Amino acid sequence: MSNGRLDNIIEPAADKNESLVLTPLQDLKGYLFYHVGRLILFLITCTSVLAVLLIFIFVIREALPFVKGASIVQFLTGTIWHPQSEPGEFGALSLVVGSLYVTVVALVIAVPVGVVSAVFLSDIVSFRIRNIVKPVIELLAAIPSVAYGFFAIKVLSPWLMSTFGFPTGVNALNAGLVLSVMALPTIISVSEDSLSAIGRELREASYGLGATRYETLFKVIIPAAHSGIIAAVILGMMRAIGETMVVWMASGNATQIPSPWWDLSQSVGTITATIAGDMAETPKGSTHFHSLFMLGVLLLVFTFCLNMTSEFFLARAKKKIGKMA
Amino acid sequence: MKTKFRTIFDRLFTGVSAFSAVLLTAILLIVLGPMIIKGSTAVFFRGTVEFRKLQRDEFNRGNNTELEKEIEPAEKTRRFVYEIIDSFKRGVDPQSLTDQVRQLNRQYGQELRSKGITGDDYRDLREAARQIRDKLEETFNSADKDLINENIGFVLELKKDERFKGTAVEEMFTIADDFGRAIEEIDLQKREKYAQSLAEVEDILFGSEQMPGLLGPKPGDKLPQTIRLRYGATRWDVAKKLLNDLLYPVQWVEIENGKPLVPQRHSRAEEFEGTRLEPLFAYIENELPEMLKPKLTFYWQYFVDKSIDSHYFGGVGPEILGTILLTITAMIFVIPLGVISAAFLVECSANNLIIKIIRMCINTLAGVPSIVFGLFGLAFFVLYFLPAFGAGPKGSILAASLTLAVLTLPLMIRASEEAIRSVPQTYKEASLALGAGSFKTFVKVTLPAALPGILTGIILSLSRVAGETAPVLFTGAVAMGTLPRSILDPTMTLSYGSYNIATGDNIGMQVPHKQFGMIVTLVLLILLLNAAAILLRSRISKKLKGMR
Repeated sequence: MSNGRLDNIIEPAADKNESLVLTPLQDLKGYLFYHVGRLILFLITCTSVLAVLLIFIFVIREALPFVKGASIVQFLTGTIWHPQSEPGEFGALSLVVGSLYVTVVALVIAVPVGVVSAVFLSDIVSFRIRNIVKPVIELLAAIPSVAYGFFAIKVLSPWLMSTFGFPTGVNALNAGLVLSVMALPTIISVSEDSLSAIGRELREASYGLGATRYETLFKVIIPAAHSGIIAAVILGMMRAIGETMVVWMASGNATQIPSPWWDLSQSVGTITATIAGDMAETPKGSTHFHSLFMLGVLLLVFTFCLNMTSEFFLARAKKKIGKMA
Repeated sequence: MKTKFRTIFDRLFTGVSAFSAVLLTAILLIVLGPMIIKGSTAVFFRGTVEFRKLQRDEFNRGNNTELEKEIEPAEKTRRFVYEIIDSFKRGVDPQSLTDQVRQLNRQYGQELRSKGITGDDYRDLREAARQIRDKLEETFNSADKDLINENIGFVLELKKDERFKGTAVEEMFTIADDFGRAIEEIDLQKREKYAQSLAEVEDILFGSEQMPGLLGPKPGDKLPQTIRLRYGATRWDVAKKLLNDLLYPVQWVEIENGKPLVPQRHSRAEEFEGTRLEPLFAYIENELPEMLKPKLTFYWQYFVDKSIDSHYFGGVGPEILGTILLTITAMIFVIPLGVISAAFLVECSANNLIIKIIRMCINTLAGVPSIVFGLFGLAFFVLYFLPAFGAGPKGSILAASLTLAVLTLPLMIRASEEAIRSVPQTYKEASLALGAGSFKTFVKVTLPAALPGILTGIILSLSRVAGETAPVLFTGAVAMGTLPRSILDPTMTLSYGSYNIATGDNIGMQVPHKQFGMIVTLVLLILLLNAAAILLRSRISKKLKGMR
C-alpha cells in the first residue's frame, strides 16, 4: 500500500519496458534532424552570399547594354558628361575625379583627427571620460547622412560664403568637410580597436626604457598597430567615396575638374551624386539609364577593391598580435 | 635640455589629443545644436489668430465661439488698415479708378432700364453720366493740377442734380470727391512711384499670387484657390519678418562700380511722407499684436498632421508613418535572417573555406555604398523580382524595405554574433550536461541570454534603416502623394522628405522652420533609438561583469 503511494510520487525515470538504446529508426531520425537542420541554417546563412552575388549580377546586367553601345575607353577617359544631348556624351573621368577630390579632402582632415582621438581613447584618457566620449562618437556615426547634408547646405554653406567669400557655398570643400565628420567614427573605432589590441607588454617595455608617452605611442604602439590603422583609413575612405546624400546636397553637382586643381571652392560632381540625381530624370532602358548602372559598377569595383585591401590589413594585424601574444 | 624638449613634446601631444576629443564633442554640438533649436520652432512657436483659423478650417480643431471672439476685435483693428489703403489708392491708381467709373456707368445704364425710363429722358441721363465718366477718366490720367481741379469742380457741380440721387452716379461723385482730396496731399509727379510702392505694401499685407501676406486676403475678396494664400501670417516670427519688409523694404544698390549689389533698407514711412498713408506704418507697427493676437503655441499635432501646400502648413504625419512602415517591414525580413545567420556562424561552423567565403561576403555587403543598394533594389526588386509576382514595375514599400533589409543584414549579423558569442560558455555546458540537445540549448539557454544584445543590434539596425535615403530614392520613396494603401504602394519618408524640402522648390525656402522641423524629427527619432541601444548595452555589460 505504502509502496504503491511512493510509486505514484516518484515516477520512474524511464519506462522499464523501453530500452535506453535508440532504435535504428530513432537514430536515423535524430541524425537526419540534426543534419537537415544544419543544412537549413547553412542555407539561410548563405543569404548574404546570395545578396552579394545578386548585387553584382543585377547591377552589371543593367550596365551591359551601355558597355555594348558605347566606348568604354571614352567612358573612362572622357571628361564631358552630357547624357541628355544627342548623341549623349558619357565621360565619367570628371565624376571619378570629383569623388576623389571630396574623399581626399575628407581624409586629410579625418585621418589625423581620427588617429589622434583613437590614441587618446585607448592610451591617455581615464575610463570615465572614455565612457563619455564613446557615445559621442556613436552618435556622430548614427546621425543619418541626409541630416549631415542638411547641415552642409543650411549651416555650413552660408558660413563658408560669408567667411571666405566663396561665390558658392556648395563646393568640394564643403562636401569634404562634412564627409570628414562622417568618416571620423569609422576611423576612430577601427584604429582604437587595433591600438587596444596591442598588449600591455610593449607599452610597459617602452616606458621601462624611459620613453615618454609621446615616444611610446609614436615609436612603438602606432608602428605596431599600423596594419589596423591602415585598415581604418581605408574603411573611412570607403565611407566617404560611397556616401551619396551629403555630396549630392553639398558638392554642387557640376561635372567639371576644378582648375586650377587646388581650388576647392569650385563645385564638383561625384559618381554617387550623379547616379542619385540623374536617375529620376531618365526613362528606364535608355542609354543614360544604363550608363548610371555603369557608374554603379565602377563604384562597386572601387569599394570591393578597397574592402579586400582593408580585409588584408586587418587579417595581418590579427596575425601579428597573435604572434606577439 | 633634451629631456626638457621631450617633456614639452609629450605635454603638447597630450594636449593635442585631448583637444581632438573636445573637437569631436564640439562637432556633435555644432551639427545638432542649431538644427534642434531651429527645428523645435516647428512645434513651439507663437501662433497668431490666423494659425488658429487655419487649424479650425483644415483640421476642425479649437473652440469656434472662442475663436470668433478673438477674430472680431482683430478684424476691428484691421479695418483702419483697409480703409486707409482704399482711400489712398484712389489718388494714385488711375487704372483701377477708371475701371471702377466705367463699371459704375454701365451699372447706371442698367439701373435706368430696370426703372423703365426710356426715350429722351434716358438719352439725356446716359449722356450726362457718360460725360461725367469721360471727365473723370481725363482727370485720373492727368498730371495737371489745374485741369484736375477744374474737372472735379465741374463734376461736383452736377451733384446738385436731383435726378442722380440714389443711383450709381452718386458713387462716382464720391470717387471724384475722394480723388480731389487725395490729390491735394500728394505730389503728382511721384504718383507712379507711389503706386508701385503701394502695390508692394498690398502684396505684403494681403498676399501676392505666390506668397501669403501679413493679414491675409481682404475681407470681401474672393478666397484664393491655394490654401496657403487664404491666411495671413500664422506665426509671429514670420509676421515680424513681413513687418520688417513692410516698414523697411530692401533695395539692392550699387555702392562701387563693378562690385556686386548690396542690400540696403530704407524707411517706407519716409517714402510716403506727407500723404495720408504715412500714419499707416506706425499704426501697423504698434497694433500688429492686436491684429494677429500671437499666443505661445505647442503644436504637437505637427507629428500627426498631413502637410498642406508642399509643407507650407501642416505637419509630417505621413512621413513618420511611411518611415515606420518601411522600417518595420524591413525588420520583419532582416531579424530572422540576421539572428539565424549569426547563430550558425557562432554555433555550428567550423573554420573552413566556406565559412571564410561567407564572412567575406558579409564584409563585402557591409562595404557596398548605399546608392549601389538603391541601384540593386531598382534593378532586382522593382524591375525583376516583384513583377515576377504580378506587381507593377514601380517603387513600393515592399521593394524599398527588401532593399533596406539587404543593406542592414551585415549590421544585424555582426551585432547578433557578438551577442551570442558573449553568452558565457558555462551556460551552454550546464544545459548540455542536463541532457538538452544542441538545438534545445540554443533556443532555451543561449538565445534568451543573448537577447538583450540582439535587441541592441535590432535597435541599431532600426535607426540605420530609418535614416537611409539613397537606397529608397529609386525603390519606393516619393516626395508628395497620398497615403499608401498597401505595401505595394510607394510612400513618403522622413529621410527623402527632408532632402526634398531642403533642396526642392521655393516654397520650402519660405518656411525654414518646416525644413528644420522635418530633419529634427528624423534626427530625434534616430537619436532616441540610439540612446536606447546605448543604455541597454551598458546594462548588459554591467550584468556580464557581475557574472564573472
